[in-house]
Amino acid sequence: MTNKVLTICPYCGSGCHMNLLVEDGKVVGAEPADGRTNEGNLCLKGHYGWDFLNDPQILTARLRKPMIRKEGVLREVSWEEAIQFTAEKLTAIKEKYGPDAIMGTGSARGPGNEANYVMQKFMRAVIGTNNIDHCARVCHGPSVAGLTYSLGDGAMSNSIPEIEDTDLLFIFGYNAAVTHPIVARRIVKAKQKGATIIVSDPRKTELARIADTWLPLKGGTNMALVNAFGNVLIEEELYDKDYAANYVEGFAEYKESVRKYTPEYAESITGVKADDIRKVMRQYAKANKAMILYGMGVCQFAQAVDVVRGLASLALLTGNFGRPGVGIGPVRGQNNVQGSCDMGALPNVYPGYQSVTDPKIRKKFEKAWGVMLPDKIGYHLTEIPHLVLKEDKVKAYYIFGEDPVQSDPNAAEVRETLEKMEFVIVQDIFMNKTALHADVILPATSWGEHDGVYSSADRGFQRIRKAVDPPGDVKPDWQIISELATAMGYPMSYRNTEEIWDEMRALSPKFAGASYKKMEEQGGVQWPCPTEDHPGTPYLYEGNRFSTANGKGRLFACEWRAPLEQPDQEYPLTLSTVREVGHYSVRTMTGNCRALSQLSDEPGNIQISPGDASSLGIEDGQLVRIISRRGRIVARAQISDRVKTGATYMTYHFWIGACNELTGDALDPISKTPEYKYCAIRLERIPDQLRAEQKVRQQYESLRKQMHVGAGQA
Amino acid sequence: MKKEQPNSFVIAEAGKCIGCKACELACFAVHNRDNGVAAAVGTVTTPVIPRLYVIRTDSFTMPVQCRHCENAPCAGVCPVQAIVQEEGAITIDEDRCIGCKACAIACPFGAISLYKAYSNGQEHKQPYLRERLDGRLERKTRVIAYKCDLCHDITNSGNIASGEIAAAAAVNNSGTPSEGGGEPMPACVSVCPEQALKLVSQSLGASRSRKAAGLRL
Ligand code: SF4
Ligand code: SF4
Ligand code: SF4
Repeated sequence: MTNKVLTICPYCGSGCHMNLLVEDGKVVGAEPADGRTNEGNLCLKGHYGWDFLNDPQILTARLRKPMIRKEGVLREVSWEEAIQFTAEKLTAIKEKYGPDAIMGTGSARGPGNEANYVMQKFMRAVIGTNNIDHCARVCHGPSVAGLTYSLGDGAMSNSIPEIEDTDLLFIFGYNAAVTHPIVARRIVKAKQKGATIIVSDPRKTELARIADTWLPLKGGTNMALVNAFGNVLIEEELYDKDYAANYVEGFAEYKESVRKYTPEYAESITGVKADDIRKVMRQYAKANKAMILYGMGVCQFAQAVDVVRGLASLALLTGNFGRPGVGIGPVRGQNNVQGSCDMGALPNVYPGYQSVTDPKIRKKFEKAWGVMLPDKIGYHLTEIPHLVLKEDKVKAYYIFGEDPVQSDPNAAEVRETLEKMEFVIVQDIFMNKTALHADVILPATSWGEHDGVYSSADRGFQRIRKAVDPPGDVKPDWQIISELATAMGYPMSYRNTEEIWDEMRALSPKFAGASYKKMEEQGGVQWPCPTEDHPGTPYLYEGNRFSTANGKGRLFACEWRAPLEQPDQEYPLTLSTVREVGHYSVRTMTGNCRALSQLSDEPGNIQISPGDASSLGIEDGQLVRIISRRGRIVARAQISDRVKTGATYMTYHFWIGACNELTGDALDPISKTPEYKYCAIRLERIPDQLRAEQKVRQQYESLRKQMHVGAGQA
Repeated sequence: MKKEQPNSFVIAEAGKCIGCKACELACFAVHNRDNGVAAAVGTVTTPVIPRLYVIRTDSFTMPVQCRHCENAPCAGVCPVQAIVQEEGAITIDEDRCIGCKACAIACPFGAISLYKAYSNGQEHKQPYLRERLDGRLERKTRVIAYKCDLCHDITNSGNIASGEIAAAAAVNNSGTPSEGGGEPMPACVSVCPEQALKLVSQSLGASRSRKAAGLRL
């Protein structure tokens, strides 16, 4: 007998609806369902990405029991012991060093919104600090900061289905074919319906290939190009004068800032032809409905927030807001990174983007939670290494559903940071590289094993549902955190996720009307949804009222800054980290799906241009050594004529070819997002390929052993 | 498919394909049920062997697969007559195949590849031929030619309809042949999230296939 359980795919912000097919308590398949964003389609991760639930132990093993490090070794213990031990340690550290010596994370992945709500409440109400952040910091942090500044809401202003009905799509640093195949589907459809497609990307991505105009800019020159766009709009008087006069502020300063960035000047920096810059801006300004979509190619630079604001300014200048099929879309990568931001797993806001520094709001939360709350903004995730290694300020780290050793830049420094901390808690579903440094491991239920709500990239709350019972002795994340809070003297108990959700809604005006019942009836609810009888909001800023303090959109431009680490004689190539369509994030999930891991496996690839390959004597498929100032790794060369000479690209999913051993820790000054898209490296040919292959195999085996593969499988 | 009609074939539109390889996985899954690959690749122990190949060049990306040629040159060069016309498709009898590679060379589309043979999730060893491995003689694994068979077994044998309903549901929606709209669709066609693949049959009109062929070349 096959049961179907309707849920949401755990792999990306597209938020596809799907059915899990369950037989005898095991998931045996997945099928697409008719969701708002996916309309009965799934990508290969949706189709084949459920296999990790059966714990095939390919890359790493499922965590099944709580563990405590005793005499240097992780040993299985009872839940009572684990909770008690963790509570005592955290209490002691809080007493000795103060609450701000403890840092916590949210999780943008499987746990769901309720668990993130409970986690930020735990950090704020129980620990007494705003030190909570999550991996949005390393991806769309600049979008939250930049769009909040320009428009008021740090999210997509438009909806995914609207993409196919626009007249012009301007895609900037966003490789939808790889990150969101189901959003790419809308882009392909838009093209078929006659929309003009403009793609700005240093690499010839699939979208660049189908675009009407491809602007192959030099990596790290975004701001110069965006300023030049603004320059053309103003110099050629292409902007919407009424709109700019009525709904927008900061025009005079903006005009002044972009004056210098003539297309010719921008060409000298970006390599994009001045004529092309003019051409695309004329098209953009003329289009009745034009939409900007952008991704990590904007956000993962040390000048990211500025570029986000600059892109929003282009949409503001041309009046592309407040209607369907226009606006600006930061398409969120992970399945629930929008949700963990919504839930306030950020150092500066409570759930619903309510500022921790606003006394009125703080009062409201203090009353609801029955404690005094801190008024100071907390630490950012990416500052932690510095705060630990240089300033000795953070002593304990509660890492919930993240793997910073694999996902954060400069892995060696992250490891050193974790080693130096007094106490590291890892709460996860799989053994991972970060867990190797944990003092306590708290095993949680996975997607498919618990209920909750995810937020899709376009602000859509959608229900995830439990399909199977979890293996071993694991608990839902919100329950673990509640037990910990209770053990620390702040009783927390919820019967189910709906109870948590209702508590959250009551405190968050933007989400107040988004009940489970409404999600059930409508399939989902897009925020803002202020009241019970409000259906939700597909596009923001109706009537051109922005959510900024005075209701106006704010223009912004500033000087371009070059990326921090430039190639030189010793490290002549640049490296940018990218993604691969069949894998997800740190790969604990997709690396444990038999089909997906077979499609592409360790040690991962480095894409290089044919020119660089031949001058180094490297052949396609060979193992090569890659070295930066911070580390060295081995990966397989993938020679691609879509890559420019001097540039290289690595997907960040792989554990042996872990590109974050190489990346640098330069941060955007506002959002503290790292510059993953630009650092300097050197490539070396490996003469003895046979031996290198052997070493990779050995490394894989010893990795798997470290990850407990094969040990204690049920 | 009536016998007197020309063979159907699956073709991609390069303007829609995003190179995601969902089609490769779906093709693999549908052909390996007896290798322990459950409806949607739950239990893979064999490598992923697709019968269509997503290729990527500077200017295009799309999968290529067999065109089911009416005068199939692969069949003409096969010394053991393992390649035959069968109910609207050109298929390879994998038991007969001797792995001589002639068909792979003859195919103008590069649609045939040779890989190890598997049965019941294990490499299929030969009875006689041995190979020297680390100084020991071991039975050599068979290597055979693989190519698109238009999901022949499933679309023609009525396998889906005869299975229990629940299993059929699982099969239908995990990117394997579906019966939507009457005729069963090949796995790759039904799984492609971009609707980039089409099953072209004569009834769809010759001009369309000509256009598609033009695009292809
Ligand atoms: S990974 Fe994204 S696009 Fe693919 S099925 Fe899941 S939600 Fe949809
Ligand atoms: S599934 Fe479709 S889009 Fe993906 S590679 Fe195959 S043909 Fe292309
Ligand atoms: S028609 Fe069937 S056999 Fe042929 S490529 Fe598609 S899935 Fe594979």
